Amino acid sequence: MSVLSMASTRRSLPNIPWRTVGGMAIALVVAYLVILNASGPQAQEQFINALTTGALYALIALGYTMVYGIIELINFAHGEIFMCGSFVAYLLITTFGFSGAITDLPLLAGVLFVVFLVSMLSMGVVGVIIERFAYRPLRNAPRLAPLITAIGVSFILQNIVFVGISNSVVSVPKLIPFTILNLGPVSIREINLVVIVLAIVLMVGLQLFTTRTRLGTAMRSTALDREAAQLMGVDINRTIAITFFIGAALAGAAGVVQTQYLGVTHFRIGFQDGLFAFTAAVLGGIGNTTGAAVGAFVIGFLQVISSAYGYGRWNEAIIFATLVLVLIFRPTGILGQQLAERA
Amino acid sequence: MRLRNLSVLATAALLVASACNSSGATPAPATTGPGASTVASAPASAPAGNVAVKIGIELPLTGGEAPNGQPTANGVALAISKLTVPGFTITIEQKDDALNGHHDPPTGAANVTALANDPAVLFVVGPYNSNVAQAEIPVSNAAGLMQCSPANTNPGLTKTWGGVDPKTLRPTHPDQIAYVRVATTDDLQGAGGADIAYNVAHAKNAYVVDDTETYGKGLADVFATDFAKLGGTVLKRDGIPTSTTDFTSYITALKGLTGLDYVYYGGVTTSGIGVFRSQMAAQSMASIPFGVGDGAVDGSAATASSFLNLAGADGDANTYGTVAATHDIPNPAQFTTDYKAMFNTEPGSYSAAGYGCTQVFLQALQAVGPADGSDLVKLRADIRAYVADSSHSYDTALGTFSFDAAGDTSQHIISYYGFDAGTKDWKFLQQRDFTANPMQ
Repeated sequence: MSVLSMASTRRSLPNIPWRTVGGMAIALVVAYLVILNASGPQAQEQFINALTTGALYALIALGYTMVYGIIELINFAHGEIFMCGSFVAYLLITTFGFSGAITDLPLLAGVLFVVFLVSMLSMGVVGVIIERFAYRPLRNAPRLAPLITAIGVSFILQNIVFVGISNSVVSVPKLIPFTILNLGPVSIREINLVVIVLAIVLMVGLQLFTTRTRLGTAMRSTALDREAAQLMGVDINRTIAITFFIGAALAGAAGVVQTQYLGVTHFRIGFQDGLFAFTAAVLGGIGNTTGAAVGAFVIGFLQVISSAYGYGRWNEAIIFATLVLVLIFRPTGILGQQLAERA
Repeated sequence: MRLRNLSVLATAALLVASACNSSGATPAPATTGPGASTVASAPASAPAGNVAVKIGIELPLTGGEAPNGQPTANGVALAISKLTVPGFTITIEQKDDALNGHHDPPTGAANVTALANDPAVLFVVGPYNSNVAQAEIPVSNAAGLMQCSPANTNPGLTKTWGGVDPKTLRPTHPDQIAYVRVATTDDLQGAGGADIAYNVAHAKNAYVVDDTETYGKGLADVFATDFAKLGGTVLKRDGIPTSTTDFTSYITALKGLTGLDYVYYGGVTTSGIGVFRSQMAAQSMASIPFGVGDGAVDGSAATASSFLNLAGADGDANTYGTVAATHDIPNPAQFTTDYKAMFNTEPGSYSAAGYGCTQVFLQALQAVGPADGSDLVKLRADIRAYVADSSHSYDTALGTFSFDAAGDTSQHIISYYGFDAGTKDWKFLQQRDFTANPMQ
C-alpha cells in the first residue's frame, strides 16, 4: 500500500494529541497566574498581548520548521520574506490611499482580503523562486553551502528593501479599528482578536492540509524519507517547492499582521523577529509544526512576562536562556523533532 | 554540476557585494553628500600658494539617523562655504557612521581611523551619538586628531561618571585631550527634562524608560534622580532593547501605574521612541505627557523617520523635548536665512552646533597656520593643542564660549521645546542656563 493511499484510510480517524492539548492548557493557566501576579487588573490584557505576539511568531516559525523538516536547511532568508511581506502590505495600503482605520466593515474585509492575498501569494512565489535558484542546485552539496547561500539571500532581500523602498522605520496605517470588544468576561481589542483567530485558522488549515490531502501526505513522506517517497512516485522537486510556497505565504501573512498590529515595519525586522521565530521552532522541536506553534507562544509569553515584571531589558537573555535550558534537558525540543529517518 | 558551481560562485559574489553594500565605512567623496546636503566643492586646483587641508565630518547620515546627522553636517558645510582662512583651501571629507540606518560605534571608529590616516585632515566634527564617541575617542587620541562633537551629551566622555575615569578612553595619551564638545552634558539635560516634567507639565508621577544605550540610559538615570529631587515620584524604571518594535506589553503595564502623569523616554528615535508613543496613542494613552531628550528632537512631523513623524498625529500631542545647546544664538535670523538659501530647508537642532564646531577649527587654524605653513603634521598637532588649551575662547554662531580642561563647553544651556499642533513641529518654550540658574 503506498504512502499516498494510506492517507485516505487515515482520514476517518481523527488523531487529537490529548496529552499535548492538556499540557498546553495547564501551561496557559500557569502563565495567566504568573502574569496576574505582576499585572493585577491588566492581567487579561497582558495575556491577550502574549497570545497575539505568540501568534505572530508562530506564523513565521512554521515556515522555518517546515523547510527544516523537509530538506534540513535553516532558511535564514525566511525572516526577510516576512519583512518583505510587511512591505508589500505597506505599499498596497499606501497605494490604495488609506491613512487610518476603516469603519465600513465590508470595505475593511475586502481590503484586508486583497492585502493578505497579494502578500501571501507574492511571498509564496518569492519563496519558490529562492528555492529553485538558490537552494535546489545545492541540495546534494555539503550542508554549509546552502546555509551560506541562505545568509546571502537574506542580505540580498534586506538590501533590496533598504535601497529600493526605505532605509529607516516606516509607519504603516492601521486599517482595523483599535476598538475594544466585550465578549462576556473577556475584553479584547479587534486587532488582537483578528490576529489570534487568523493564526489559529491558518495553523489548523496547515494541519488539515498536511494530514488530509494528497499533497500534504507527499510533504510528510518526503520529510520522513525522501528516497523512499521518490520511489513511491512522489515528485520531490514539486513537493519541496510547495513546502517553500506555503511557508513563505505564512510569512507573508505574518508581515501583514506586523503592519496592522504594530503599525510599523523596518528592513531589519526580518532579522530580529526571524531570530525569535527560529528560536521558537527549535524550542518546540525542529521539523514539528505543532512544536513550532507551541514554541512561538512560549516566546510570546516570556516576552510579556519579562516586561510585566520589569525585566524588559533582559528580554532577549531570558528567551535564549530558556532555549538553552530546554535543550539541555530535552535536546529534541518541547514536543520533539520530526526529521528524516536515517538508515 | 556546472550549474551548481555557477550557483556557488554567484552566491559568493553576491555575498561580497552585500557585505560591501552594508558597510558604513566606505570613504565618501568630499564633494558629494546624501539628501539635501550641498558640501563645498574642492576647487579644481587650490589657488597658488594655498595649503590644501581638510575638515572631517563623522556623523550618522543615512537611514533613520539622517534627520539628526544631515542637518548637523549641513551646518559644517555652510560654515566652510562662508568662512575662509587666508593661505588655506579647506575641503570636507565626509564619513557616515550609520550602518543599516543606525549609528554604529565600530563603523565610527573605522571612519576616524580613515580620517586620521589622511594627513590633510586636521580636525573632525562629530560624532553625534555618545556610544560612537566612546569608540572614537581612543582612536583620535592616539592619532592626536582633534574632534569636536556638536551633540554628544553623555557626561562620561569627558568627566568621571558612574565611577569611571574618562582617561580610560585615552589609553595612548591619557593627559592629552583630542575631544571637545559644544553640547551641554546630560547631567544638565536630564535636569532640564525633569524641570519640564515637574514645572511645565506639572507632573508628579513618572514612568522612566531608556533604550539601554549609553546616551539613553544615562539621560534617563539623571531625569529619574532629578525628578525625585524636585518632589516627583518615579513609579517605574524600565529599559527596552533598541531592536524592539512591539511595545504593547510595556504600554499595557503603564495602565497599572496609579496616578501616572508623565512618561520620560531616554534614547534616540531609531531605538523606537516614536513607535512607542504611537502605540501609546493607539491604546488611548496620548493624554499622558511624553518627554524626550535631544535624540528625538529631530525634525517636524513632516520629516521622514523623525520622532514626531513616527509618533503620528495622535502621539505628537503633549510631547516635550530638550536640546543640549542654546536656542538663542546671537543672530538666529541671519543663520536661518543663510541655511535656507543653501539647503532650502529649516536648520536642524544641531545645525548651528555643527557651524560652531567648524568655527572653532577655523579660529585655531588661523592662529597656528601662519607659523606651521604647509607642515600638515605640525598643523594637526598644533590645532589639537590650541583647542585643548582652556585659555582660548571662540566667537561663534553659538555665542562666545571656551572649553574647560576636560573639553566641555562653558555654555551650560538646555533649550526646552514642546509640540506645536499648528505647525506640527517643535516649538521653542524657553532655555535655561544651568550655570546662572542651577537646579536646587
